[in-house]
Amino acid sequence: MIVYLRRVGLFVGLILLQVLILNNIHIYGYGTPFLYIFFLLIYSSNASKNTLMLWAFFIGLIIDTFTNTPGINTASATFLAFIRNPILNSFTLHDNNEIFEPGISSMGLNSFIKYIVALTLIFCICLQLLNSFSFFDPIQLLIKILTDTLSTAICILCVDAVWRR
Amino acid sequence: MKNLLNFLIKYNYWFLFILLEGISFTLLFHFNSYQGSAFFTSANYFTGNVYQVQNELTGYFHLRTVNKELVEQNTELSLQLQTYRDKLMDLTQDSTGLVRMKQDVLMDYDIIGANVINNSITFNDNYITINKGEADGIKSEMGVVGGTGVVGIVYITSKHFSIIIPILNSKSNISCKLKNNEYFGAMIWEGGSSQFGFINDMPRHAELSVGDTIVTSGHSAVFPKGLPIGTVHNINNSQDGLSFKLKVKLFTDFAKLHDVRVISRKDVSEQIELENQIEQK
Repeated sequence: MIVYLRRVGLFVGLILLQVLILNNIHIYGYGTPFLYIFFLLIYSSNASKNTLMLWAFFIGLIIDTFTNTPGINTASATFLAFIRNPILNSFTLHDNNEIFEPGISSMGLNSFIKYIVALTLIFCICLQLLNSFSFFDPIQLLIKILTDTLSTAICILCVDAVWRR
Repeated sequence: MKNLLNFLIKYNYWFLFILLEGISFTLLFHFNSYQGSAFFTSANYFTGNVYQVQNELTGYFHLRTVNKELVEQNTELSLQLQTYRDKLMDLTQDSTGLVRMKQDVLMDYDIIGANVINNSITFNDNYITINKGEADGIKSEMGVVGGTGVVGIVYITSKHFSIIIPILNSKSNISCKLKNNEYFGAMIWEGGSSQFGFINDMPRHAELSVGDTIVTSGHSAVFPKGLPIGTVHNINNSQDGLSFKLKVKLFTDFAKLHDVRVISRKDVSEQIELENQIEQK
């Protein structure tokens, strides 16, 4: 029960944090941290693909509704959820049967950073590719992907360090 | 049969994945076609109210700058008013002319004040949400101006909120002209900086120089003639070489936009009807 309350609290909290504060952050016009994917990244390792994708779909849909970018966050987050488990398994030395929540304490700093950066990068590539349908500027696209990935990964590492206490 | 069922059960997450991505892409590509519905946007009741609360809390932080801008604008306007009044008095000693002219100018337009409650400048398609909607008399295709210049055009309205397509949107296309003469073009945005827009179709024989002011043309039913948009920042050849491409520094600072006014022209149905007739032919 407490696990569920904590999860819903994190869900609502991350959405509000994202739409009210983080979406207004643009370091030199780029580099918006998409912290809300933290919810999907630390979801416990035994979650089925279907559960994770449904959570991802709804968190993306709500974020899209707030930012008037219909489908962009939804599609990217769902894709992130789809590929999360294989990537998580490839970065951990745990047995497949062991249940854990991905984090610095459970995975070790080194492999957690690799795991976060890999998934954040894939997520930002999806997001910015979908966003660049109206006009395509390769250099700007690259800058956006890199700065978004960097700021998102840093935010996630900081929040993970605080969230575990 | 059993094998097929096992196969379907084993790979059921693929179906869910394709279904969810399908819904996402439908939303992505059909945003334009459901103009009447504001459900999946920041103009729906719930999201609109969240932004409204945020706006009420943070609105106070901008008061000082807003106040300063208003004072400056006020001074400028009263100066202008004085000069025009003097000029008019010189031209027409008859005072009834002045009264009639005042009525003529105000009769055509309604002005509705509103606050920006959500805004973005970094996407390729940015939207602005304001806290007035159909209940306040706002309809789509109305013009929106800020304290310093043109902001955009109303796109979707719900009961109490509206979404505006600002100049900073790939769909935006505002008819504009040079202030000093009648050469006109279309104001568009090509991404990148939120301070600059472009005019791709300015004729090559137009007399213009860097620093000239760009204003609305009044050709469309949306904006009256002569509202300031920006100044010419540099002049290049367009891709086909047949016209000038102007980079325009916009007057409106979209990054700190807070108070806007929606302009509704009272009798546009006739003009729109006439223009639609041509498009159908």
